[in-house]
Amino acid sequence: MTSWKEILQDKIPAEMGNLIDIYEAQMELRKQGKLDEKVFAEARLRKGVYGQRYDNGQRHDGVRTRGLDYPSDEVVKGPDTLWDAPGMQRIKIPYGGMSAEQLEVLSELADEYSDGIMHITTRQDIQLHYVHIDDTPDLMRRLAAAGITTQEACGNSVRNITACTLAGVCHDEVFDVSPYADAMTYFLLSHDDVQDFGRKFKVAFSGCAGHACGLVKMHDLGLLAQTREIDGRTVRGFTVYVGGGLGTVPHQAKVLAEFCTEEELLPLTQAVARVFARLGEKKNRNRARIKFLVAKLGIDEFRREVEEELKIVPPDPRHDAYIDNLGAFEYQPAKAGMALNGAPLPEGFAEWYATNVYHQAQPGYSAITLHTPLGDFTAKQGFALADIARQYVGDNIRLSVEQNIVLRWVADADLPAIYRDLCAIGLGDAGADTIVDITACPGTDTCKLGIASSRGLTAELRTRLIEKINLLPDAVRELKIKVSGCFNSCGQHHVADIGFFGNSRRSGNHKMPHFQVVLGGQWQQNAGSYGLAVGAVPAKNVPAALEALTERYVAERGADENFQSWVKTLGRKEIKAMLKPFMQLPKFEENPGYFSDWGDSRVYTIDDIGVGECAGEVVSLFSMEISRAESTHFEALLALDDGDFAMADETAYKAMLLAARALVRTKYLDVGDDANNIVSEFRSRFYDTELVYDRFAKGKFARYLFKRHGGAPSRVDEDYAHQIIDETQLFIENIHTAEQRINGVIVS
Amino acid sequence: MTESPRRLGLKLSMQRPPRIQPGDIVPVFQRWIQQHSVEGMLIDVIDYKHVPEGPGIILIADEADYAYDLGDGELGLHYVRKRGLPADLRGAIRLVFRRALAAALLLEEEAPGDIVFDYRRLKLNFLDRILYRNDAAAFEAVQAEVAASLAEVFGAPVTVQRLSEDPRQLFALGCAVSDDAKVRPAALLAKLEGDS
Repeated sequence: MTSWKEILQDKIPAEMGNLIDIYEAQMELRKQGKLDEKVFAEARLRKGVYGQRYDNGQRHDGVRTRGLDYPSDEVVKGPDTLWDAPGMQRIKIPYGGMSAEQLEVLSELADEYSDGIMHITTRQDIQLHYVHIDDTPDLMRRLAAAGITTQEACGNSVRNITACTLAGVCHDEVFDVSPYADAMTYFLLSHDDVQDFGRKFKVAFSGCAGHACGLVKMHDLGLLAQTREIDGRTVRGFTVYVGGGLGTVPHQAKVLAEFCTEEELLPLTQAVARVFARLGEKKNRNRARIKFLVAKLGIDEFRREVEEELKIVPPDPRHDAYIDNLGAFEYQPAKAGMALNGAPLPEGFAEWYATNVYHQAQPGYSAITLHTPLGDFTAKQGFALADIARQYVGDNIRLSVEQNIVLRWVADADLPAIYRDLCAIGLGDAGADTIVDITACPGTDTCKLGIASSRGLTAELRTRLIEKINLLPDAVRELKIKVSGCFNSCGQHHVADIGFFGNSRRSGNHKMPHFQVVLGGQWQQNAGSYGLAVGAVPAKNVPAALEALTERYVAERGADENFQSWVKTLGRKEIKAMLKPFMQLPKFEENPGYFSDWGDSRVYTIDDIGVGECAGEVVSLFSMEISRAESTHFEALLALDDGDFAMADETAYKAMLLAARALVRTKYLDVGDDANNIVSEFRSRFYDTELVYDRFAKGKFARYLFKRHGGAPSRVDEDYAHQIIDETQLFIENIHTAEQRINGVIVS
Repeated sequence: MTESPRRLGLKLSMQRPPRIQPGDIVPVFQRWIQQHSVEGMLIDVIDYKHVPEGPGIILIADEADYAYDLGDGELGLHYVRKRGLPADLRGAIRLVFRRALAAALLLEEEAPGDIVFDYRRLKLNFLDRILYRNDAAAFEAVQAEVAASLAEVFGAPVTVQRLSEDPRQLFALGCAVSDDAKVRPAALLAKLEGDS
C-alpha cells in the first residue's frame, strides 16, 4: 500500500523529513520498550505531540472513577500516559501567518486524524485534538510538505514565535516585525542552543509600544520594534525584554537592552538562550522558567552574563544573512485597493463593519477579523475559507492570539461581498474584539491540568452576552474577558479586564467548581499590567457576578474612566464585598446544579486531574541526543531488513556520530555537526583520556567509530552491514556507560 | 475484494429538526458512558455546538466517535470508525451501518417522536485521501460494490451518488434505498447484528 512518506518524499525538506523519520523510529523503540518513557515523552512533546485528559486510563463518569481499557494497555508514551489514549497535536504557525494551501492541508488533517475541528491557540498555533499517536508521523509529513512544522511546538524548547496580527498593515507600527519573527523562528528551530532548557521559552515580537498585539511584556523574550538615528541614517532594531511570563506567578519582563540592531538580534537571542540553558533551573520545573532566573540574578547580573556569553557565541553566517532577505518579505494582495463604492450593503454589515474591520495603513485595504467562537472552526469552513482567501486576499491569512482569524489586504470595495461569503460559512459574526470575543484555554475539556470548564463557562457567557450585546453600554462592550481552566494562565486571564481561572472549593462532602475572579489586567501597552485576584465564585454564579460587576462599573465610573482605573479606585476590599453574595456555597442537597460544571452533567470532581505535560519532564540534553542516535541505529536495522546494505552502513555510521556528539556536547556544546570535528573532539576529550574505556575491552568500542570514520569499505555486503550495525550498538552502549560514569544520572 | 478506507463514517440524518437542543445531548451521551449504552470503549463527550454546521456533540470512543452531527445543515447521527475496520469495504460498510443504526435507535428513545431518523438514506464518508481520493475514478471503482452491499442489507435496490466534486473534500457518497422499499430499522439492525 502507498504511504504518505512515499507520496510526499520529493516535497518534504530533507532535514524535516529526517527529524520525522527519527521520531517514528523512536516511537517504534518505545513500543518495544527500548527507549525510556521519560525520554520518549520529551521527544514526543518536542514534536508537538501532547497528552490529553484521561490518557492515564481512568475517568470519573459522574458516579465513580472507571478504568479505560485501551487496547495497548501495557505500552505507555510517557509516564502514566497510555499509548492508545487520544492526544493533542500542536502545530506551529509562526506569527500566525499561513497561506490558503496550508489552510487546506490543515483542514484535511482535521478531517482525517482529528474530530474535524481546528482549534486556534493563544500562541497563534493550531491544535488538533483526539489524535492517535500512530497517526502523527504521517500527519507531520503532510504538514512538512506544505511548509509547516510541529518541531518544538511543545516541550522544553522555543515555542511558536508570535507577533502582532496587524504587522505590516498597522498604522502605528514602527516597522513590520513579521520578517524578523520569521527569521528568528527558523534560526532557532532545532538549534543546538535551545535543546537544554529546564522549561519552555516563549518569544514575541511587537511593532509598537502602545497596543496589545505583541504582548512582549509577558514573554520570556519580547522584541519591541524601534528605530534610531545612527550616523545620519535610520537604523532598525528592537528593545529587548526578558523574563516576563504569566503562569501561576506572573512576572513583568525587564528591559535587557534598550536597543539592539537587526544585526545583533539573533546573536543576542542565542546568548540569552545559552545563559538560560546554562544557569536556568533544571530540577524544580516550577521555578525553571527564565523569569525565575532573571529574578534570582537581577536584571543587571543577567545582562552581564548575556554580554559575556555574547563574546563566545560562535560566528554564524545566518546571524545577518536574513537581513538581505527582508525585502523579499512582501505581501501580494489578490486585488488592487479600492474604496467602498456606495453599493447596497447586506443586512448586518454595519454592525460587523464597526467591530471586525480595521483600515490598513495602505489606502483602499482593510484587515478583517473572523470571529471563531472558542477558537474553533471546522475542516469544511477551512476549505471554504481558503477559497475566499484566494478570491479576495491571496495568502494573507493570520491567526490571532485572541483565537481568531484575520484576513489582510481586503480591498475595501470587496468588504460587502466578503462579508456575505463569510456569513455563508458561519464566519461572519460581528463582535470581534468586544466583550463577546472571549479567550479560553481548553480547560477540563481536554487538558490534563484543567480544574474547571473554561470552555463551558466561556460558551455560557458568550451566549448570554450575544443576546444583549446591543443593549450594553460601550464601556462594557469594549471589555475583554479571558478564561483559564486553572492557575496556569493559558487563557491569559492576568491581562484581561475581567479574567477568570478555574479552581475548586468544598461544600459539605462535595467539591464545587469555582472561578477565581481577576480584575483590571491590561491588554494594551503590550500586556502592560496584571490583574488583581479578588475572590473565587462558584462557576454557576459567574454570569450573575459578571453582570453585577459590569452594571456597577457603568453606574460608578467617572467620565472616560477605564476599567483598570475603576478597579484600582474601588479597591480589592470593596470589590470582594460586592462579590460576596455570589460566593455563598449552597449545600449539595439544596442545589445540586452547583456541583456540576458548565456544559457537563456529571457531578463535579477533581479526580480526573492528571500530571501536566505542559512543563514536560526535565530530561537531560544527553538523554535526548543519545535517543536520536538509538533511533538512527534502529533505522539502520530497517535498512538492513530491506536489503539496502549501503544505506544500513551509512545510517549506522550516522548513529555512531550522533552518539559521540551527544557525549561531546556534555562538555563542549559548540561542537557543531561536522563529522571531523565531532570525531576529533571525541578522540581528544574521551578516548585519549580513556574516559570511554571499558574495563575489559578498553578503547575497542570507540575504535569502531574511528575505523568507520576513516572510510566505508569499497563493497558493502550483508555481512559487513550486520557487523557495523552490531558495532554501532556496542558503541552506543559504551557511550551510555561512559556518560553515567562521567556525569552521573541520565534522567534527572 | 475492495479495500476499506483507513477510517469510514456513516451519517443518518433526521427526518426533521427536533425540538431538543444539541446541548441537551451532552447529558444523554454522558449517561451512555455511565451505562455503556453503545458499543465501544467510551471515553468522553465534547461539545462543539458553538461551531456552525460542525460535528455538534461528540461521544468519543477509542475506536470510533458517535456525533450528534450538525454538518451540512442536517442534524444526524454520524458514526466514524477510526480503527479496527474490516479489511474489505463490504464488511466495513456493514460494521459502520450497524453501529450507527444502533445508536440512532437509542437516540430516538431519548426523545420519542421528536428525534426521528430517516433510515432510507445515509451518507458514507471515506476519511482516507490515499485510498479514496475524491474523484470520478474512485466513484467508478466503488459505486457498484457500495450499492450492492447496501442493497443486501435493505433487501431492495440502492442508488449511490458522489456528493461533491471538489477534489479537496473527502470522498463521500449519498445512498438511498428505492422509494418502494419497506424499511424497518429494527429489522435492518437484526440483519446486521448477524455479522457480529
